[in-house]
Amino acid sequence: MTAQQVVERIQQKLQELKINWRAQTVDTFKAGSPQTEVRAIATTGMATFDVLHRAAAAGRNFVITHEPTFYNHMDQTADLEADPIYQAKQRFIKDHNLVIFRFHDHAHALQPDPLVAGSARMLGWTQYASPNEPRIYVLPTTTLRALAVDVAAKLKGRAIRVAGDPDMKVTRVALGPGYGVPALTTSIDVAVGGETAESGGNAEYILDAAADGQKKGMILLGHMMSEDWGMREVAEWLGPLVPEVTVEWIPAGEPFTMAT
Amino acid sequence: MSRRPTSRREFLVGTTAALISGRMARAQRPPLTAQQVADRIRSSVGVPWRPQSLDGFKVGDPSTPVTGIATTVMVDINTLKRAVADRQNFIVTQEPIFYSNNDDPGNRAKDAVYLAKKAVIDEHRLVVWRFAEHWNARQPNEAAKALAASLKWTGAEAPDAPQLYRVPETTLAGLVGQVRSRLPLRGGLRMVGQPGMRVRSVYLSPGTTSLANAVGSLQKADVILAGEPREWEAIPYALDTWSAERGKGLIAIGRVVSEGPSVHACATWIRSILPDVRVESIPTTDPYWSVNV
Repeated sequence: MTAQQVVERIQQKLQELKINWRAQTVDTFKAGSPQTEVRAIATTGMATFDVLHRAAAAGRNFVITHEPTFYNHMDQTADLEADPIYQAKQRFIKDHNLVIFRFHDHAHALQPDPLVAGSARMLGWTQYASPNEPRIYVLPTTTLRALAVDVAAKLKGRAIRVAGDPDMKVTRVALGPGYGVPALTTSIDVAVGGETAESGGNAEYILDAAADGQKKGMILLGHMMSEDWGMREVAEWLGPLVPEVTVEWIPAGEPFTMAT
Repeated sequence: MSRRPTSRREFLVGTTAALISGRMARAQRPPLTAQQVADRIRSSVGVPWRPQSLDGFKVGDPSTPVTGIATTVMVDINTLKRAVADRQNFIVTQEPIFYSNNDDPGNRAKDAVYLAKKAVIDEHRLVVWRFAEHWNARQPNEAAKALAASLKWTGAEAPDAPQLYRVPETTLAGLVGQVRSRLPLRGGLRMVGQPGMRVRSVYLSPGTTSLANAVGSLQKADVILAGEPREWEAIPYALDTWSAERGKGLIAIGRVVSEGPSVHACATWIRSILPDVRVESIPTTDPYWSVNV
């Protein structure tokens, strides 16, 4: 089957789930011809150059990525045409006959959001999901420090950052995907997500709450340590829709090196 | 000491009450209002004031007489209390005060933490004025220049490439060590690239880093030292340079720490245009800590 036909299967399934395909969306082909015959599919958090190398080596010529391929949300390439890194990536895509499609907006529209469910599964929190509050997890009481240590160990994240009093007690955690770190409120202890505006939001709220005698915290996992796992959920969801080909998750992984 | 020519009134005050200090004499002149301070900054910044801007009054009455000015990266309740203790009622901030870019409290309008912050502002009649876009539009870039000074790199700027610094040859890990020892970092430092890579030039990009900035600067520099680069823009670009066998480094120190030297420089600059007003910067603390180091 062609890459275009794979996308049509996705669109058909979404229609069954009463999720309309959006007129304005970043979920489009980013490189390669949609008419390419698909040998195997790789899903990933981000189509980094390294992911493309691994996909090509594994014979997976259709890459379905959650985040952009060309370093900006709209995957606009006009300003990159003269850049040697961009040129090398495009050349590799062409030489290996790869096709890249982005699955972002409609992935987040699935219920539950696989990008959140994937992180929750990695963290071992699935059983703690609040029955009637989306993205809220009610954990056995712990401290912010112990929670952050546990999160870093489970994800093997190398660049996890925390704000708030390490000794604060934590039970109610709001888990958001990628740049969607939940805004803290009085009813949440800790917000967890990928990346966010590092000031002008939760950072000040945590300091202000402390000055007002309330303890609040935030754990920033990094964007890939937040959303890469969800594309494994997407691979499992997509597999039965396209029994003609195999679907496998290729993690983009932690981009940050351990700072020694 | 006042650097302004002595007015007739000050002279009279000074001769009739010789024991009054210069500072007290100054205090007896009608102080500038917050509006007058803002106008003076706007007319001196050297950048046309933008019709659409997030800079401007965020809370407080612009007609308030200014007792002193505090510059800060972020305005949390403790910053406000510290300013009150130092009799600084006009706060110049880089970042929003009410938890969103446009400072609209939105869903938090009845939130206890928002109300506690608002109560401190109202009780002490504080005025908060945001001054980020225009300060950061000055050329040469004030934030990069101030960050370079904190890193002890003043004078190492490349003549033909703004914000690019030639550093004594080191490795990426060596550069991280220097940065850690010279900036008030806690957990906020992250890096992309191989620790052993050779480093001879660094592009300073405090605050946020656009993709165009990342792509353009890494054609000239070995490393970008950034504040808060987006993880679907500059970060994967830096990562991909390694797959393209043109490996470049990126160090992210966090937006707050990256802007600390800049607000200190901003206080010095405001003092230069308003020599009769007390202006101090409030030191920045890295709000983040790490379990990885």
